[in-house]
Amino acid sequence: MPVTFTFGEMLSARSVIGSTLAELGDEYDNLWVITPDIGATLVEFRDKFPQRFLDVGLAEQACVGIAAGLAYDGNIPVVSGMLPFLSMRALEQVRTDVCYPNLPVKIIGTHGGLVGNGGSTHYAVEDLALMCALTNMTVTSIGDPLMVGEIIRQSMTMQGPIYIRLAVGKSDKVLYEPGQHEVRIGKGIVAREGTDATIFTHGTVVAQALEAAEELAKDGRSVRVVDMFTLKPIDEELIAQCAAETGGRFVVLEDHLAYGGLASRVADVVADRNIHLTAFERLGIPQVYAGFGGDEELRNKHGYGLEATIAATRRVIAAQA
Amino acid sequence: MGQTSLQTGGNPPTIEELEDLAFELRSKLLHLCGTYEGAVHIGGDLSAADIFTVLYNYGLNVDPTDIANPARDRFVLSKGHAAVCMYIAMAMRGFFSYDGIVETYGQLDSAYGMHPCKVQLPGVECSTGSLGHGLPLAVGMALSARGRGEGHRVFCLLGDGETGEGSVWEAAMAARSNELGNLVAFIDRNRQLMTSFAEERIVFEPYPDKWAAFGWNVVNVDGHDMRQLVEALDALPAADSNRPTVVICDTVKGKGVDFMERNLAWHAGSLGPADLERAMAALEASREKESV
Ligand SMILES: Cc1ncc(C[n+]2csc(CCOP(=O)(O)OP(=O)(O)O)c2C)c(N)n1
Repeated sequence: MPVTFTFGEMLSARSVIGSTLAELGDEYDNLWVITPDIGATLVEFRDKFPQRFLDVGLAEQACVGIAAGLAYDGNIPVVSGMLPFLSMRALEQVRTDVCYPNLPVKIIGTHGGLVGNGGSTHYAVEDLALMCALTNMTVTSIGDPLMVGEIIRQSMTMQGPIYIRLAVGKSDKVLYEPGQHEVRIGKGIVAREGTDATIFTHGTVVAQALEAAEELAKDGRSVRVVDMFTLKPIDEELIAQCAAETGGRFVVLEDHLAYGGLASRVADVVADRNIHLTAFERLGIPQVYAGFGGDEELRNKHGYGLEATIAATRRVIAAQA
Repeated sequence: MGQTSLQTGGNPPTIEELEDLAFELRSKLLHLCGTYEGAVHIGGDLSAADIFTVLYNYGLNVDPTDIANPARDRFVLSKGHAAVCMYIAMAMRGFFSYDGIVETYGQLDSAYGMHPCKVQLPGVECSTGSLGHGLPLAVGMALSARGRGEGHRVFCLLGDGETGEGSVWEAAMAARSNELGNLVAFIDRNRQLMTSFAEERIVFEPYPDKWAAFGWNVVNVDGHDMRQLVEALDALPAADSNRPTVVICDTVKGKGVDFMERNLAWHAGSLGPADLERAMAALEASREKESV
């Protein structure tokens, strides 16, 4: 069933994944969907293509290995599950069985960031650092629920593996009107124009960055927001362009460790290309195991909530050139 | 075995007293499931409620007033999503205040959350929640006890679905290889995973044979029959014997609440006020049925 939605409303990214895979199953008779007992949103695909659906139970390592085996034989496997376990329990399978032979396995999962209140066993906060380190891996982190469908579609013709990160995925804000932005893996999206500073962000906190920019606009600040949903390969040209057009004033905001994720990737580009910056601040998870609490409460507690984003952006704008 | 008893109070509880405690534990779980706005893993809490009750009130040699005593039995909750059942069982045994759990569960800065954290909640032996971690941890603790000549046991509770993880079997092999008779695994064999029933997609049977093939001493019990649970604990081989024991507990996911029993929708969930009333009535009714 196609998913209906309205701009600005909440939509379940998981339902978009479910319906997209069920549609793609018709188009690609070599598409497989595999899960380690996280199959609730895959029911449509399962019922339509029972021979190409596999639930391996509690066995993330075997799940990724089996996907690689299927891919060796010309199939396109999608592994769907919870990211803390797919990115860490199965890390060696991802690296050696999938990335090393450069197989078209897609890993899609939820619980990226301090979301869902499961505690530190259930927060994937190191995953982007781990995945970005893997040769051949394309790494994405999606906030807009409709974009997930688009990314899965585009990934169908990719040669190698891709990692697609979501937050809880049960209720996500529709950020963009369809067709409003060109969505292409490897290209950042300028979600809001601005000239005083750029906030680079991805995933669930894109909405927070847009809110911060809106608040700052009330005092006449013009803040650009870039949804850098592809962390690897990163859109270097856009980073250079933003440095030139927003006074070299950067904030990076992410629901991931502050070191090792997007902030580090942006900093690498800045250093490698010798881009001149006026100010740079990173907002993300510090070196702590975060504890329990609501998503927003945890972001506030750990210093990367809305207020902190506004404050950091103000500092960056105020910095002496 | 020369183990000092840390049990406080007088005689061990009777079967009837244990049954009453299990009923109280289930009532408290349902209450929390009704007051907390988020999801509670109520299905796997209810299936394990009798096991938690017998462990914390009969099997485990622990003292809630002396949680770091090196002679204590260790308990590792490998199916960490049943944390709240453990918190309440521990509260009923005197480790924590039950009100503290109800008032703060899942809130910012609470020690009581969906999966147990040893750092935030002293008294809990291990931080778990990612399935497949508990048995290796328990093997390490049992090896340490063995190496130091300590007589205590290490207990570990796993879900049957959880035993799909390879790490469980790696640990099972290590436990046998190192002759850890001081290690006791309990399996909550409720025949359900999160999204499917056992044997539907994953074939577990012949389940006891799998453990036997790994060289373990296998005991099968009805995991809701307090007498059988007590007898299994009474009959444990000496801690200095050389074979680890697994107690496979035949259970029902959602046990005690008819509309939750064997229902995949109740792996985790929350109860509105009307549902809570319905659940409490069902629990009451199931108790009357059992006592007939
Ligand atoms: C490594 C890992 N994978 C997935 C999960 C998500 N999860 C939590 S409980 C569960 C089902 C567990 O089934 P079982 O072990 O039989 O527990 P029970 O039925 O007793 O609740 C799943 C898939 C997890 N916590 N850890």
